Amino acid sequence: MTALRALALGALIVALSPATPALAHYPFCSCEKHGEMIRCKGGFSDGTSAEGVKLDVIGYDEAVLIPGKFGKDSVVEFRSPPGDFYVLFDAGPGHVVEVDHNDIP
Amino acid sequence: MSAATLDRSAASRFWRRWRFHLSALVVLVPIALTPLYFRQLALENGTAGLGAREIGERKVGPWSVRLAEFDLLPPQVQGPAGPVKQFTLALAGAGVTEVRAAYLKIGKPRSLRAAGSIFFGSPYRQTAGLPIPERTSPDAEVWLTLEGWDGSMQTQALPLAEASPVAADWLRSRNGGKP
Repeated sequence: MTALRALALGALIVALSPATPALAHYPFCSCEKHGEMIRCKGGFSDGTSAEGVKLDVIGYDEAVLIPGKFGKDSVVEFRSPPGDFYVLFDAGPGHVVEVDHNDIP
Repeated sequence: MSAATLDRSAASRFWRRWRFHLSALVVLVPIALTPLYFRQLALENGTAGLGAREIGERKVGPWSVRLAEFDLLPPQVQGPAGPVKQFTLALAGAGVTEVRAAYLKIGKPRSLRAAGSIFFGSPYRQTAGLPIPERTSPDAEVWLTLEGWDGSMQTQALPLAEASPVAADWLRSRNGGKP
């Protein structure tokens, strides 16, 4: 009887759970200014950390100004370079997040 | 008799009175939702077409693609990654063998490395999740980038309102009507 009830409850949960179009994990990266320093936190929407993911600071002329990599805490800190630049979280082709320096609060 | 005993007996009476009707609901609700389930299944396996709304055929350099909105929902929040809208794409003609990857991005890509979200799936039906931050202008452009096996890169822009009217309306309502 208990097994039957557990089965019925399981079937109910499966029936009521919403269908998702694709189980994907989307990258995110948010940066903040702390005086001279910029602190970027990255990761994935499913909770995966960004450890080992590349984070490059790139000038508008496409020259990599500061190459970086996320550590265990999924955070990268760097000194704000002079001129126009953007931050690129690069977890591989098509898994990128671009943060323009004008969008860093 | 304590209040707790009274509560328990009231709950027990309710259960005895209505348990038949509740068990009937457990059968009837899934039956009522079955057409919705099969519609969703048809959308996911492609038998309902490329997506819920076909945007149409686009020329991107020498190649041609068909683009569609996967569903007609506004961008869905994906945790800390923010609102994301699903698009589907089918390569046509020579593109099937000549195109290595397709990417989608709000705004003009600065480089192939920063070309945006990649489409994944077979050449005939690929899906990509396009992040649409709330601060995006409803008049923004969606840029489609195709990368060829020969290393070439082709781009094509289309207005967001054309790619996804529901996403443009959603942004308009978020921005309080301001562009």
